[in-house]
Amino acid sequence: MDNLKIEGTKQTPEIDFNSSTGILSISGRSIPENTFEFFNPVLLWLDEFSSIAPEKVIAKINLEYFNTSSSKYILEILKRLRIILKDGKDILVEWYYEEDDEEMMETGEDYEDVSGLPFEIISIDDE
Amino acid sequence: MNTYEKFRKMMDNHIMLSFKGEITSDIINMVLQIMETRLDAVSEKSSVRKKIFNVLVECMQNLYHHAEAEVEGQIDTRRAMLELFYNNEFYFILTGNYIKNNDIQRLKERIDRVNSLSKEDLRKYYREILDNNSISNKGGADLGMIDMARKSGQKLDYHFTEVNDNLSFFDLKVKIAKKK
Repeated sequence: MDNLKIEGTKQTPEIDFNSSTGILSISGRSIPENTFEFFNPVLLWLDEFSSIAPEKVIAKINLEYFNTSSSKYILEILKRLRIILKDGKDILVEWYYEEDDEEMMETGEDYEDVSGLPFEIISIDDE
Repeated sequence: MNTYEKFRKMMDNHIMLSFKGEITSDIINMVLQIMETRLDAVSEKSSVRKKIFNVLVECMQNLYHHAEAEVEGQIDTRRAMLELFYNNEFYFILTGNYIKNNDIQRLKERIDRVNSLSKEDLRKYYREILDNNSISNKGGADLGMIDMARKSGQKLDYHFTEVNDNLSFFDLKVKIAKKK
């Protein structure tokens, strides 16, 4: 199956999902007014991916900002990963936040709690 | 008031940005771009800048999705206002838009509920709403209000002014503490 690669913009994140390595990265910012348009193809890709996922899948989520309408879709992405986990595959979510961004760290914990997936919450230097 | 007096007043009130009109996608992008530049220029901690930016995004998207038209059926009369200013302690994000009188009660209850919750309860409530299944393209105003309250760490200040039998003007003021 094809990889999914979407360039980031000022409003939407960069998506780099690799179906053979199982590394799924989302980075940048996600603040579009119409979130469905952006996220629907991403969810459709994941639906297909779930049946051919490799033994280990790592989701790297490194977002600077996201709006609340994106937050539901981020949970939807994690729910797709949960299906893969239930198939007996190994899943890890790496949630990145900038060192002084306490909210983004807490949001990671919120998602860890709500999704029930194994999370690693990783602080990155503000440079 | 002459123009100089107007200018002085804007200076004295520390107005960073003031806008009135229809909130379109282009306007949102422009305002965010302007504010990013302005916030980069003030010597404020990046965590505070991020909070302001986040709340600003939610506020403008609320206006974008929920502002009612002043004249029913005429979309170009969905006029709203947005203002950013500060004092010694806080940054303020003030928005104003028309709302149908019929919708006031529900909105008021939602904000009051958010305002009544402690930091921890607000977090629990956020998780609960996040997890309930419905996705709407408008993003669910509940989550937006909770998120603004969490980022701001302060009560949401709001007011309704009745305009006519059908419409009121809703203003919402969100404040974000400056870092001492």
